[in-house]
Amino acid sequence: MAGDMFHLVFTPGTFLNMFNSATVVILAGLGCLLTDQAGMMNIGLDGIMVSGAFTAAIVSWLSGSWIVGLLCAVCVGMLFGLFYGLMVIRWKSDEFIIGVAFNIFAVALTTFLLRSIDGQKGSFHPATGFVDRIPALHLGVIGDTPINISIMVPLAIVLVILCQILMYRTPFGFWLHASGEHADALRSVGRSPDMMKYLGSLGCGLFCGLSGAYLSLGYLSTFQENMTDAKGFVAVACVIFGRSNPVLVFLAALLFGFIDAAATRLQDYLNPTLTATFPYIGTVLMMLVIALARVIRKKKAAS
Amino acid sequence: MKSKERIQYLLSLGVSILIALAIGALLMLVSGHDPVQGYRSLIEGAGFIGPRKAQAIGNTLYKSAQLIITGLATAVASSAGVFNVGGEGQMYLGALGSCYLATLLVGVSPWIAMPLCFLAAVLCGSVYAFIPAVMKVKLNINEVISTIMLNSVAIFFCAYMAKGPLKTTERGITAGTQRISSVFQFDRIIFSNSDVLSERLRMKSNLTTSVIWIALITLLIWYLMSHTTLGYRMNLSGQNSRFARFIGIRADWLGIVGMLISGAMCGALGMFENFALHSRFNPEFSNEIYFDGMLVAMIMRYRPLGIILMSFFFGALKTGAVSMQQDIPSELILIVQSVVIFLMAAQEGIVARLRVKHARKHPSIAKEVG
Amino acid sequence: MSEPIVSFHHVSMQFPDVLANDDISLDIYPGEVFALIGENGAGKSTLMNILFGMNKPTDGSVVVKGEEIRSFSTREAIARGIGMVHQHFMLVPSFTVAQNIVLGCEPRVNGFAYSFSAARKTVLDLVSEYGLQVDPDAQVEDLGVGLQQRVEILKTLHRGADILILDEPTAVLTPQETDELFAVIRRIVREKNMTVIIITHKLYEVMAISDRVGVMRQGRLVGACRTSEVNEHLLASMMVGKEVLLEPFSREKPADAAPAVTVSDLFVRDDRGLMSVNGISFTLRYGEILGVAGVEGNGQRELVEALTGLRKPVRGEITVNEQRATRASPGRIRSFGLSHVPEDRMTTGVSRDATITENLVAGKEGRKPFSFLGLHLRKGKMKQYARSVFDLFDIRAAGVNTRVGTLSGGNMQKVVVAREFSFDTPVLIISQPTRGVDVGAMDFIHRQMMNKRGEGCAILLVSADLDELFRLSDRMVTIYEGRLTGEFDPAVTPREEVGRSMMGLTGEDRTRFEKTAAADTRDT
Repeated sequence: MAGDMFHLVFTPGTFLNMFNSATVVILAGLGCLLTDQAGMMNIGLDGIMVSGAFTAAIVSWLSGSWIVGLLCAVCVGMLFGLFYGLMVIRWKSDEFIIGVAFNIFAVALTTFLLRSIDGQKGSFHPATGFVDRIPALHLGVIGDTPINISIMVPLAIVLVILCQILMYRTPFGFWLHASGEHADALRSVGRSPDMMKYLGSLGCGLFCGLSGAYLSLGYLSTFQENMTDAKGFVAVACVIFGRSNPVLVFLAALLFGFIDAAATRLQDYLNPTLTATFPYIGTVLMMLVIALARVIRKKKAAS
Repeated sequence: MKSKERIQYLLSLGVSILIALAIGALLMLVSGHDPVQGYRSLIEGAGFIGPRKAQAIGNTLYKSAQLIITGLATAVASSAGVFNVGGEGQMYLGALGSCYLATLLVGVSPWIAMPLCFLAAVLCGSVYAFIPAVMKVKLNINEVISTIMLNSVAIFFCAYMAKGPLKTTERGITAGTQRISSVFQFDRIIFSNSDVLSERLRMKSNLTTSVIWIALITLLIWYLMSHTTLGYRMNLSGQNSRFARFIGIRADWLGIVGMLISGAMCGALGMFENFALHSRFNPEFSNEIYFDGMLVAMIMRYRPLGIILMSFFFGALKTGAVSMQQDIPSELILIVQSVVIFLMAAQEGIVARLRVKHARKHPSIAKEVG
Repeated sequence: MSEPIVSFHHVSMQFPDVLANDDISLDIYPGEVFALIGENGAGKSTLMNILFGMNKPTDGSVVVKGEEIRSFSTREAIARGIGMVHQHFMLVPSFTVAQNIVLGCEPRVNGFAYSFSAARKTVLDLVSEYGLQVDPDAQVEDLGVGLQQRVEILKTLHRGADILILDEPTAVLTPQETDELFAVIRRIVREKNMTVIIITHKLYEVMAISDRVGVMRQGRLVGACRTSEVNEHLLASMMVGKEVLLEPFSREKPADAAPAVTVSDLFVRDDRGLMSVNGISFTLRYGEILGVAGVEGNGQRELVEALTGLRKPVRGEITVNEQRATRASPGRIRSFGLSHVPEDRMTTGVSRDATITENLVAGKEGRKPFSFLGLHLRKGKMKQYARSVFDLFDIRAAGVNTRVGTLSGGNMQKVVVAREFSFDTPVLIISQPTRGVDVGAMDFIHRQMMNKRGEGCAILLVSADLDELFRLSDRMVTIYEGRLTGEFDPAVTPREEVGRSMMGLTGEDRTRFEKTAAADTRDT
């Protein structure tokens, strides 16, 4: 039985699904870490993602082009990012309250609009036309599994590398980090920390918009109400786990993707409703591990 | 000073609500509905006018009661410095626990069974709140993220139980536990329409005798938060945990206590919902009930009396919106609520900025103060 | 004398609650060391922040090098050759020295990426040019304060500053580091013809380093003159506005009473995990005030936190009222009969979001008459009590329902003192009770402490203010780098001797310091 399970879980298909599922979290995580580096962690990722997903699906359907859909999703995401920046930087609102309100607002708004547009509940199923999907790469066949990967997956990996370079190899990254760690230090050398924070917030919107577009045009092929399933919060947990380092956040997201994919695989053995809890339990455990490690490190340092 | 602050607060709250309702009207207009008709049907649905007045008022009162419990549950944890976003999960477990116990206690006198079920609900809810509370207080793990995660876990888990191990043997029901004995169920409080005496038009509302329990809990929590040493200490811990520790209050322990109370309240509400309206554990009983109340608590800054009063307002809005039925989705009210939160959050920052500008323009006024 | 390099013309700065600068006109000349002195809150830093472009004055104008400043921004100030080393360092702790020095004007390759090698070379060039030794690759958070300050100075020099503002540069330095800093200042003034403005409230430093001195009091410039024309005594009276600050208390020697607090061989770590209390032992007796003198950051904070349970000691024993208090919780130690006025009233001493009433009752809410059975809160009694304390302590606020966060520093401190003193405990640990407090409130708090002493309480007074310690203490100890370096009877000891001891200096070192300082002053 255990051997069976092992073979069942460790298949090429699982790893494929791992990447497909993790990409949602990777993209959102990149966005979140930009705000975290700038000292104002945005926990409203789900809200931005769901708005992006909605925009992408509707625009893709209207225009018949996934590119237009994706670009519009990114624009909507950045609009949200700007709004977050205004609330938190300019009007000094509590970032957690704004984040939580963001999520509720965006889910309600997209649901409202969806039901108004085609009078349907649940998900977007246009009577005419179709939702143009983000194309996938066909990488051949392993065994009897065809390997198809959305082009967003390699794009996400490239973006991780770019973010890593941006954060640790460019003045821009230093300023972004400085605006979070010691804003006055940046101000005292004549650079505006608020500007950096706005850019971080806009970047967060951009990435979450991308993540949302991938969700409705790549991972699934339509928009569903509340379709992020708290994946934005998983991304926040990954950012905490990876201490805002893009590569570490990427690895944490892969771990989540793996649990998600493995849980799907295990559905033959276990009830799918039960396995659906695994990714969330995994995320909680992930946070627990990092917190325990911190406590142990502190104890060691003290003795 | 403080009363001046309060007036300013209430004033901006009123303005914010008006702006939010205007935005709601705009949304209706954009989505092809008539806002005047929309708000009219909302008021009707809330029970202030129209032929179904009695039933609608009952529904409004019940929705308000729901908001009060969930709002106070948010507030009691927040006052002790822990932001409980996990009420939904705690509610599910409380509901499942109490409903399952009820199916075991068939034949037992309700005078014994009901308190036991209540205890089960409260226990399930608070135990589930205990996990993120301890993680927050002892390991500094962000409670917003952990409670959100645990919400999903609980909802999936309860759905699994209701579809699997605890599924009813009754036919025609895809998900749900065994039916709860009717002596355990809360009775509906029936409103009769005074104009029409015919039995056919006596309509049932969601208002059941569970509101008596809810009223008692509300009274207790309001008293606890504003008139006991425990509430006072929880408040100080939430405001400044370092100061609380310094003065000899065990702030971390009180954070856990706040979460336990909050979880217990959510668990109890889960029981009321299912015992009153579904007559069994129905895994789809809640359409994010907790978040509605949480928003009310956030708008009223976790002040118990304010939450209780504001719950009636939003209870009416929410009920009205639900009965607008298919034409206008009830999500409209969530949008209105979150817009109020945005406006109130920005309001403070805007006032502070204006104050600085004002001081620049009129130095003499500030000089007297300084 | 040449043209002034910086001129303030009728500058005023209005904050929402306070007029920080009131009609200030002042000229500073090129190539001089100008000292700006005054008590806490006199408006020195505000004035310098205006010059550095961090604040825009509400009135008046500032002329730098013959040009009036129109837009106030740090970028502008830096472009005009103004550099400022703030009291709280403007360094990003997780960055390296090189990253910090070039922050905001980083050398790049391909116009995009940061050039690590060019940055290192820049730093090494600066090091050799000014002779200020630092390791460009060290992380700032691993450096001591002296080195961090050096990085700050290099940072401003790198930006081509020829007007250097130093805000309380010696507050965190050891005497040796102060010595080194002054040598650096003299060198850059002499060799690079820089202008240095130094903010301080230590008079002997003014005498040692400056050419001219300006004195500020309550937002106004009281006077500016050549340092050689004044003496410390005159400056002191200008600063406080009175000849003699506060009259001394008459007192009797305390009898040899029983010990209230004993501490033996105590070791405590600070937040960074470094041992900051290194084996301290002492006994505090009933009816006496024991003063602890020392430059800030020598372990006082950690010592007090260990005594009151806020920090767990690594080693050692503490007894309070004959009960073992080592590693006990703050609440438990309080129950032994100890109360505590903390040094940091903003974050530890009060809850700023709570009202005056709530802050005054905190810690007593479970007792009579404020509660019934320790459970029900009697709000009427709370308010009644708060009103009486409010009047007794002369707290200036709209009423007892005012939020404490809106009070001034002195009134906030009165709330803390009122609460802690009314616990009526036999032991009081009091830390920096009058920092940032006006003279009237200071005298009031001092009198309250003497009353407590008269009632037979044991008081441990930790302060950075020598005048305060001499006025109140029956006995004084000095603390330096986590060790007690001497014990004195304030009635018979000259304060120079205590000063030497709290600097960790022997008599000879101190004389050398003063001699070189005097020589250098003549030099420039």
